[in-house]
Amino acid sequence: MPKKLIKITVLLLLPFFLLPVPVLFAEGEQLGYTTYYFSDSGGNSVVTTSFNLAKRILKKTVFLLDLEVDNVTVPAITAVTGATRPRRQSNKPFKKTRGQAIVGLEQGIDANTSLAVNAYRSQEVDYVSNSLIGSLTHDMFQQNTTLTLRGQFIADKVGKILDDGKLVNQDKTSYWGMASLRQLLSPTTVLNLSYDGIYLKGFLSDPYREVKVFDANNRFIMVEEHHPDNRLRQAVTAKLNQAIPAIKASITGNYRYYWDDWGVKSHTAEIQFNKYVLDDLITRFHYRYYFQDKADFYQDHYTTDYYPGKGFLTSDYKLQRFFSNNFGISLTLLFRKLAYSHPTWEFLKDSSVEIRYFRYFNTLDFSANIFQMNVNFGI
Amino acid sequence: MKKILLIVLLGVITMTGCVNVKIYQRTYLQDPLMDVKRETSKQKLDEKFFSTREGSIGGAAGIAGGCGCAK
Repeated sequence: MPKKLIKITVLLLLPFFLLPVPVLFAEGEQLGYTTYYFSDSGGNSVVTTSFNLAKRILKKTVFLLDLEVDNVTVPAITAVTGATRPRRQSNKPFKKTRGQAIVGLEQGIDANTSLAVNAYRSQEVDYVSNSLIGSLTHDMFQQNTTLTLRGQFIADKVGKILDDGKLVNQDKTSYWGMASLRQLLSPTTVLNLSYDGIYLKGFLSDPYREVKVFDANNRFIMVEEHHPDNRLRQAVTAKLNQAIPAIKASITGNYRYYWDDWGVKSHTAEIQFNKYVLDDLITRFHYRYYFQDKADFYQDHYTTDYYPGKGFLTSDYKLQRFFSNNFGISLTLLFRKLAYSHPTWEFLKDSSVEIRYFRYFNTLDFSANIFQMNVNFGI
Repeated sequence: MKKILLIVLLGVITMTGCVNVKIYQRTYLQDPLMDVKRETSKQKLDEKFFSTREGSIGGAAGIAGGCGCAK
């Protein structure tokens, strides 16, 4: 793991040890820190540092803040890479930083209803995204049922850095609606159902990606990727959590079906087994299987008969047919025993430190390793 | 597929309100093993990773927005 990541981690954790910690936390408040390190078989790497805060500022009002920084490295263009980048200085790795901030307020309306409004901004050298999110959460039937509705508007500037260093932007707009229902089924079982619908319009291609178009003599020219300028994406998800008290464990199953009007359909199935190995130590084993079909206009081999002017072109690996597998393991350390040992440490009763590792691989010869550490104070 | 989803949804809506788990019966549901809220920050980053490698989106708990990585 890079030294830079360790330095950032130490610096961000320092305040937790220097400040009079009980002052920072109260019932129902949360302070979280996450660091994430990703490297893949194409030579791309991402180091993410994330910080989130939920702080009660009035009796029924909670202030929400989420900050995230990604340090992205994309290898020289000669390498096989899944990420895209400018051709400028193509013999060197391309490095960029992405900053993201979410600021919001959650307002309690009555004992069972709350409203939240959040503003989102993400910025990197060749991409800017602004978003406004509103959500309503309502508990029903003695809090056995929770309904959440969320609406989101996203306005993106999709940039391309040209060979002379100039930046050209194009617009993309998205509307995202989500509805979810959480239902207690028994004292040990919870079911979550959700629906997502996203309509995108504008520039939906990658400005850096190019496609090989072959003529009758098998010579090719490189042509810029050209996707349709609108897309309707939909997904339904079901998640079941089952506690198994007899062995101090629980099991989670998750299934998602996704479809869109470009012809992509996918199935995602996940299972996770969680178990206490000590009173305050949880281990989790996770497996995820994913399958998707290709987009209607995706071809392995485009010819001049098809292009120019006759159809859409893509070299986006995300629009191919493929399978993927993902295995993960994590350890979560709780501080309940310490919290109840002395009043000084009581604020740690809902806190945890978690380390995770997962390995992802798919049938496109792509694999990735992900390391993650989460530190949470209170929930 | 859509018919099956509709049947499941109708089943859950019918069931809603029939099940009544009392507050004092929720010890296991509030345990860190089962607490969905704790999963949110992890899910958010997982969703970001998968959306950069796969053509699907949706089903995650956290807020997500636009990002150059998922063009």
